[in-house]
Amino acid sequence: MKILIVDDEQDVEIMFLQKFRKEIKSKRLEVSFAFSGEQALAMLGNSGSPDVVYVFSDINMPGMSGLELLSAIKSRFPHILVSMISAYGDRDNYNRAISSGAKGFFTKPVDFDSLKIEIAELLTNQ
Amino acid sequence: MILINLISLSLLYYLKKSSGAREFPEHLHRYFKYGMIAAGVLIALGIVHAPPEILFELLSFVLVGAVVYLMLNTPELSYLKTLAITPLPIIGVRLLEYVIKTLSPAIFDIVENYLDAAGVFAFIWAVTMWLNHRKQMKEIEIERIITKEQERQLRTTEEQKNQLETLVAERTKEILSQKEELQYALDHLRSTQEQLIQQEKLASLGQLTAGIAHEIKNPLNFVNNFSELSVDFLQEISEEMPKIPDSPEKENILDLLENVKSNLGKIRHHGSRADSIVRSMLMHSRGGSGTMDPTDLNALIREYSNLAFHGMRANPNPINVDIQLSLDETLPKVKLNAEDFSRVILNLLKNAFDAMRDKLATAGSDYKARVEVRTQDLGDKVLVEVEDNGPGVPDHIKDKLLMPFFTTKKGTEGTGLGLSITHDIVNSHEGTLEISTEEGKFTRFTILLPKR
Repeated sequence: MKILIVDDEQDVEIMFLQKFRKEIKSKRLEVSFAFSGEQALAMLGNSGSPDVVYVFSDINMPGMSGLELLSAIKSRFPHILVSMISAYGDRDNYNRAISSGAKGFFTKPVDFDSLKIEIAELLTNQ
Repeated sequence: MILINLISLSLLYYLKKSSGAREFPEHLHRYFKYGMIAAGVLIALGIVHAPPEILFELLSFVLVGAVVYLMLNTPELSYLKTLAITPLPIIGVRLLEYVIKTLSPAIFDIVENYLDAAGVFAFIWAVTMWLNHRKQMKEIEIERIITKEQERQLRTTEEQKNQLETLVAERTKEILSQKEELQYALDHLRSTQEQLIQQEKLASLGQLTAGIAHEIKNPLNFVNNFSELSVDFLQEISEEMPKIPDSPEKENILDLLENVKSNLGKIRHHGSRADSIVRSMLMHSRGGSGTMDPTDLNALIREYSNLAFHGMRANPNPINVDIQLSLDETLPKVKLNAEDFSRVILNLLKNAFDAMRDKLATAGSDYKARVEVRTQDLGDKVLVEVEDNGPGVPDHIKDKLLMPFFTTKKGTEGTGLGLSITHDIVNSHEGTLEISTEEGKFTRFTILLPKR
């Protein structure tokens, strides 16, 4: 199963790779990274019918925002699940994300335990 | 003889009459009275020709002479000089007649014609002098009227002057009181301006604080997450270690790993401390988010003062404190962001507990820590008060209490954000927060919220 993490902070990649080290090692999970919304869309578009099943995206990014990316993905690849990760856990962002079709909303600092549960659910459902 | 006395009588009568217009001394009045009586008696004697006629005639001359003398030699009567000399020629002719007739009637027969002629002249003189006197009197009268008029005008001017002075005094008083009012308004404005500047400073400090928090939050998340990850890895490493055969190097590695583990624990601990500060700082930017709902303020206070008390009891250094709730049960529901406002109650109570803990450490054993929470319906506003009998706040730090990061607590005990956030939250409710305190006695936080 492949997931895509979108965040403008490069160290997020290392963090996720370390956090899901076991899952990645056992090839149960494949994680790819994009550092902007534009890059994420490009990556999804290039693979034709993308094998990515879940996108986790930051909201506040330079250029395309996470919410814009959410609507773009939902219109082009409605089957891909998208959740938002944001430092701003305010009601406004939350409401907009959920109404645009986000599956979940995580606030920073990311509670990796709940994220792991979310991903484990996906893995067992497969 | 009758003529002479008539002259005396009319002179005296004239004098008496004119005494109405002028004030004469008392003795003059007596003279006039007795003189008129004497004249009257002499006239009567003259009519009946009572003997000895010669003596009475002499007396008549003495009387008229005395009257003329009085008029000429009394300062008060000096204005009547013309009148006094009017009858003089007549009196002279009569006196001459009387002397000649008495001494030698023979000579009188010879000079009678001359004397008659002199009498006529004397009469003409008298009439002239009389007219002259009338004219003088008129002039004096006119002068008197003019003086009187001038005096009247002077009096009027004086009165007007007085009136003006009173008016000026009144106006001055009014202006002075207006000045005082203005001064008061000015002072009031100044203090309001100072308060506004203070509020503005606090608000910008709050914004700055929130801005800083946002900037720090992301890197701090990495610090915390990576240290957490490293702790996990160390756990895995220590699970793998028994599989490696023992050796002095392994001993050393295990020792070092133990140190790294403890270091990571410290990083994690201080990282989460920084994280809780950052989260408090972010509270500054929370104004506007969250919803304002009609809330039972009394219930909120009951719940959160209970929570604050038990929270304090569960933490290190608990104290015994008497919490009194004086809640106005008629209080209507108030539009509040309940989540934010509960923080206000928690912060103020925590603040009171900390202050009273300090006092408990220094004050004698009969000091009983006591905090009172009050609510009151003030019509268009709602009052919430938290008052403790702690050590109070010294004047020099009172103004700093609401600033972010200002704390009197030692070391890592306080972030200096509690009251600053409290102030922000009250502000976001369009309320006011005031502090009154007396050192050694009490500290009272007064919150006024609009009802809306």
